[in-house]
Order: sequence, then structure tokens, then C-alpha cells
Amino acid sequence: MVKLHIQKRQIMKKFISLSTSSQNALKIAQISSTLPVNILVTGENGVGKKILIQEIFPNLQVFNGQKLEKMIFHKKINLDSFNTIVIYEIDALINKKDFFEKLRKIRVIATSRKELNEISTFFPVKITIEPLKNRKEDLDELINLYSNDAKKIYNCDIKIDDIKIDISQNGITLKQSIYKSILLKSLTKDELIDTMQDFFTREFENKQTTYKKLLEIFEIAILKSAKKIYKSQLQMALKLGINRITLRKKLEQYGE
Amino acid sequence: MKNNNFYKNLIENNLNPFILFDNNGDLQEFNKEAEFLFNTVSPKELYSLAIQYASHSFGFEYKFINLKYGQNNYYAILVGYLNENEIGIQLYKEICTELLTKKMNNIEFVNIFSLIEISKTTTLLQNTKIQEIYDVSIPEIKININEFLLTLNNCFTLFKQSSYLKIKISLEIGEYEIIKKKKYQIIFIKFINNKKITIDREFEYQAHKAHINLFVQDKTIKLKFPMIL
Repeated sequence: MVKLHIQKRQIMKKFISLSTSSQNALKIAQISSTLPVNILVTGENGVGKKILIQEIFPNLQVFNGQKLEKMIFHKKINLDSFNTIVIYEIDALINKKDFFEKLRKIRVIATSRKELNEISTFFPVKITIEPLKNRKEDLDELINLYSNDAKKIYNCDIKIDDIKIDISQNGITLKQSIYKSILLKSLTKDELIDTMQDFFTREFENKQTTYKKLLEIFEIAILKSAKKIYKSQLQMALKLGINRITLRKKLEQYGE
Repeated sequence: MKNNNFYKNLIENNLNPFILFDNNGDLQEFNKEAEFLFNTVSPKELYSLAIQYASHSFGFEYKFINLKYGQNNYYAILVGYLNENEIGIQLYKEICTELLTKKMNNIEFVNIFSLIEISKTTTLLQNTKIQEIYDVSIPEIKININEFLLTLNNCFTLFKQSSYLKIKISLEIGEYEIIKKKKYQIIFIKFINNKKITIDREFEYQAHKAHINLFVQDKTIKLKFPMIL
């Protein structure tokens, strides 16, 4: 079982390349991996830069750009001992030109969140990974992978259309939003009470709340869901068992 | 004053190309250097250049402009006309004062078609229609991969806005390069697009570092390099 679990996790880490642009990125990374040249992978947060590098260069020493810059500055690293290294987030380096001057004799595979024109000659191979919004096939595949995994973990059967998806930070927020969405939909009544209890406790500890304020949480959720199910305010009032005038007041109060 | 024959000979043997046109743009006279120049630029284009930079009235006028035809750079032109029937132009060739010694450092065997594929895919936009004519019998050759890729990237960057690009890779028939007394065949990569190509000094310097000779003409750029095996 444990073995199966590990295998599944490894599959989840594979660089998804079903769209033309990601297929191109993978192809170029594979071809250039055999050449003695520096490679820069650029793209927004969460597009899969690190996953692509891990897939092509699984056994290389990895550094964070800023940390390595500090280590070089304080002479805490012997660069002569490396042939090839991976450096993440080189866009955050303070003095890029100096930094790469010191790495002249080493092959560098790096990631950056933006184009870096000032050091473009240091990287003959520049691979750009498009954001997920431009890679529909990859996005669909990732949604499938993450939601299937989350559904198994939380033992919850939910339609993909009912999952709230956030790709503002590509794969990072996509994964978070899918897991969160499925987790919340899988909650039982007792778990929900527990969760709310935790939330109320924190609110009371912070002394930022009142009974009335906490009551809003129930009322807004009830009114929103009732509005979704019932067509008219008349029907809503009837089903909720409250006066129509009271219902209208509450809807106005919460801007529903 | 010397006789006319002396001046004629002086112009004929000048290192700078000289051309005399009639008022229809037809060639009247030209020297040896101009004859070489016609291999890379048409007389029609040079006539247009002369008309563009001629003085308002009769006389001679210098203009310091950067021109590149074939492998030669020109830093100035002199245009003159003394009547309505003839107009002359002289181009001033730039001479490189430092000796360009090509060093073949860090050369390694590589498949140049892979490098083309990398550079093309990472630089060009997807809406460029590409026609590729490759002589796939060209074997892996020794080059400085880093510098070669940077030069290719510069080339493909030129065509980012082009809707059409033709790439031809083949052996240059009948041309050789001699390096350290050894004779090598020449490979060329020719890019043809639908827009006029202009390159800057940095571009040329990069190509030089990659041991590539550049030939730019109108909408075509040709890269020539030795086939070192």
C-alpha cells in the first residue's frame, strides 16, 4: 500500500504536457539537457518550472538563488566542486551580473518568474512555460488529477463543475482550491460543528466579535443556499418558516 | 594638375567604391571596388541612395551613415553632381584596425539541426509559417555550442514579427575555409523572410565569437561556418 502511495505521488509530480506550448517546453528541455549549455526556464508562479527541471535533471544539486548569492558573498561555498547546478528564482538575485560572472565555469539550469534581459547572453537556451490559462489541455488534466486525488483522500464524490477553481497562481492555487473545495464539501455535520467551534474560539480569543456578528455567518449561508434552491422570496419565506417581511429585511441587510 | 588619365586611375584603384550614374540611374562608370559591391547590392539601390543624399544644389556632400553590404561596413558616402546629367557616389569602407583572429575555443560535436530546433522553438512566435529545406546528410560537427546558439537566437529574433520564414541548411559548393593550414568545407544556414533585414554591431560580434561569417542582403541573412569534423 505504501509503495502504491509513493508511486501515485510521483505521478502527480510529472510535468503535464498535453498542450502544444508545454510539449514544446518539454521537448526543448529534453534536447538541451544533452548539451553543455546553460538553460533558463521562465514562467509565472506555479506553471511547473521546478517540476520540469526535476523531470529532466533529477539528480542535480539545487539552490535557491538568494541563498546561494549569500553563500557566495560570505564565501561559504566552494563552486569548483560543481559541474552543473540548479538555481531557483534567479529573478530575486540582488546583483545578477556579478553572480553569474562567478558561475562562468559551471553549467547552470535556472528558473525565473520573469524575462531577464540583462543576463540573456548567459543563457543560450530560454524555455518559457505559459500560464495555465493558456494551456487548456494541461489545466483540464491537472483538475482531473488533483480532484481525483482529493476525492480519494476525503472520500467524497463531487462533480468537477461544482469545484471552485482558482488559477491566479497557476498550479499552486489550483491545487489549493480543489483540495479546499472538496474538503469543505466532504464535511459531516459533526465536523462542521467542530470547525465552526474552532473558528468561534479563535474569534473570541481575539476579542473581535459579538454574538450578532457570529450569527451573520449562519444567516448569510442559509439565505444564499435558500436563494439558490427556491425561486421566489414567497417560497423562501414559506420553506424557511419565517415572515416574508423579516426575510426581505434580512436579504437587504446582507445585500443579497 | 595631373592629366585626366591619372585621376581615372586613382579612382579605378581606390579601395572605396565609386559609381557614376546618368540621370536615368543607368551606370556610366564604376571602379573595381564598385564591381565587387554589385555582388551584394544592386546599382538601382545605390542610385536611390545617391538621390536621397544629394545636396540641394550642384556640388558635393558628405554624409556619415552606417551601411552594410555583404561583409563590408561603410561609415560615410560622398554624393556629387555638377550638371543635370550625371551623379556620382563614393562609399567609404570601414577598415577594422584590430586583427580579427578567430579562436576556436570550447568546440564540441553537435547536431546543428538540434540547435536550430531549440532556437526556433524558444524564440519564434507560433504564427510564423516556416519552410525548412535541410541537407540532413550533414553530420555532427565541432562548434562552440554556446556562442552558436546565441547567434541563432539573434537570427530568429529578427523574424519574430515575420509571417513567413524559409530556412535552408546545406553545404556551400566550391567554397572552403582554411584554419591552421587545414581546409574545411563550408556549411551555410540561410534565412529568407518577407521583411528587410538589418543587423547591428552586437549581432556581428556575437557571430564572430561563434566563428560564423554573416551575409545580409535585403530579406536574406546567410550564416557560413566551417564543417569541422
